[in-house]
Amino acid sequence: MLQLTAWTFARIFPTTAGLPGLDAIDARPLIRQLTAEAPFTIRATLWVSVLLFQVTPLLTLGIPLPARWLSDARVDEHAQRLSVSNVYLLRQIMLMLKTIGGLCWGAAPEVRQKLSMPMYEADSGRWRQS
Amino acid sequence: MSGQHVAFQDGAPQVFEADYVVAGSGAGGAAAAVTLARAGFKVALVEAGPWRDPEAYPSSMYGTMRDMFADWGQLVAMGNPLAGDAIIPIVQAKLVGGTPVINSAIVVRTPGDVLDDWRERFGLGDVFNEATIGAKQDQIERELSVTETAGVGMGPSASAMLKALIQRGAEGHAINRNVREECEGVMQCLQGCKRRNKRTANFLWIPEMKDERGGLVLSCAPVDKVLLENGQAVGVTGRWLHPETRQKGATFTVRAKRGVLVAASATGSAPILQRSGIKLPALGEGWRAHPGAGVVGVYPEAMDMHKGASQSVASLHYRKDIGIKLEHLSLPLELFAARVGGAGQTLVHKLEAYRRCAMWVSAVRADAVGTVKQNWLGGVSVKYQPTKKDIARLRDGSKIIAEMHFAMGAEKVWPGVFGLKPEIGPDEVHLFDNAPLDNRSYTWVLSHLFGGCTLGKDPNTSVVAPDLHVRGVKNLHVVDAAAIPTTLGVNPQHTIMALAMVTAERLVGG
Repeated sequence: MLQLTAWTFARIFPTTAGLPGLDAIDARPLIRQLTAEAPFTIRATLWVSVLLFQVTPLLTLGIPLPARWLSDARVDEHAQRLSVSNVYLLRQIMLMLKTIGGLCWGAAPEVRQKLSMPMYEADSGRWRQS
Repeated sequence: MSGQHVAFQDGAPQVFEADYVVAGSGAGGAAAAVTLARAGFKVALVEAGPWRDPEAYPSSMYGTMRDMFADWGQLVAMGNPLAGDAIIPIVQAKLVGGTPVINSAIVVRTPGDVLDDWRERFGLGDVFNEATIGAKQDQIERELSVTETAGVGMGPSASAMLKALIQRGAEGHAINRNVREECEGVMQCLQGCKRRNKRTANFLWIPEMKDERGGLVLSCAPVDKVLLENGQAVGVTGRWLHPETRQKGATFTVRAKRGVLVAASATGSAPILQRSGIKLPALGEGWRAHPGAGVVGVYPEAMDMHKGASQSVASLHYRKDIGIKLEHLSLPLELFAARVGGAGQTLVHKLEAYRRCAMWVSAVRADAVGTVKQNWLGGVSVKYQPTKKDIARLRDGSKIIAEMHFAMGAEKVWPGVFGLKPEIGPDEVHLFDNAPLDNRSYTWVLSHLFGGCTLGKDPNTSVVAPDLHVRGVKNLHVVDAAAIPTTLGVNPQHTIMALAMVTAERLVGG
């Protein structure tokens, strides 16, 4: 699932002429972290969303193939059409993928540097234990 | 007279004693706790989340969801999906200090028309009036360094909004915030403020209560039930929960000699009373909110949402006639990436313009009324959907915002409304008039929450009496947004704090 999730995020946030995408930035460390830290319901919703992204080209493009087997251009079209689907739940799936993918993409130093924005410090996660 | 802090514990059950126990440490709980402690009582403050010091706040939104949001931001309001209802995220924090740690620090006095309405319809009488609430709000403003946003707190996006309001002849103002003048305008309000410029209870009132007045703080300690004996509240019980592993720890009991105050938020207080076996017809009912959504303007020049405060300009101009409050709201890049429409190349091309984008939002003083209930999985279910009239208000507000963006020179706006063009030019603002009246078409967020234990004079329609005591139970009060019986049309934290302080002072006075 790690590879498939990273692949999906890379299709939703691809590199453009102006910005690096998650095809050029390794999202796997954050996905691993999320897998280790997030509640089951978030992980489960993410995995289901990733799988639905794979199987829905039939609905968006009329092509009965998994998204992974499509050309880059067709996957891009699939992602865009899914995000504006008439079916609310399919739009919600894309919102889930964009929200988690956005956490990876928007915090990436490569992206922030390109936009001349300050880098984030590491999140310590510390809390008072006594 | 140093007190005690007890975080996650494993092993044998633990029992504590205090004069008063307060469940929840957000705006209401912290204000009530410090008031009781100042009067000389031993107070136990019990908070479901961990205690984080500002230096340990996260920087990224991933860290914020993990460390600050209640259950990673999973809580949503839902109606019936099969009936075409929307799923609407609810923004709440779970840590010592509560949601004020991650909000935009907006401080607005309780509007007079709200107090008038409460007096007439809910029988507030002399308990809460402009004098009692006003006196407490004076005090809160002094203690939390409330100042009008100025200088670097006003980023370019906020300045443009203020200019647009003035040009339109509409009321607009720099927001008063519980933020020191030293604010560096680095847009970290939503992640907490590492620089301690946002003045929050977790490093002001709660340490005062504990360190100077001998109080007890239990963190990572979600309250399960209020202990009831012979019709009287005598404490709370629960079980520690590890904030990282979510492992359950030891059970705790805090016995209170004088009383229990529940302040676990509009999504938490009613479920605690339900789990405690309190059966009142209005419990969990009367749940309200200010649902909101934003419109993005794309400008030829930099608007730099990452500079300034997350929110620093607002307008109450349309509060009464339309029922909306307009606010500037800057979003961190990560959240903006999810908010902008599209995916793939279309999405990232749009995000190339992030530095040139400004987002202004309409918060709706909604008519919708929902419920909050304990569900069979042990969690909380919120049933709530904005009404058609509420959607129409948002639509009106969005149109006004689009006009303001274009008046300030925006090249285009991104309405963020499904069923409307994804990009609208200056000559197309009228399209908002035909935007769908369907909740699923809007990117709603619920941030100001009220009710579930609403106050009132009628025992059949209220959970707490006008003095905030829970009907039919001695020594039990609800002192947070859960008791508020209507929407306010303005940001609620100031009202919540004042209600809690007034209630605590009344308890102290006997």
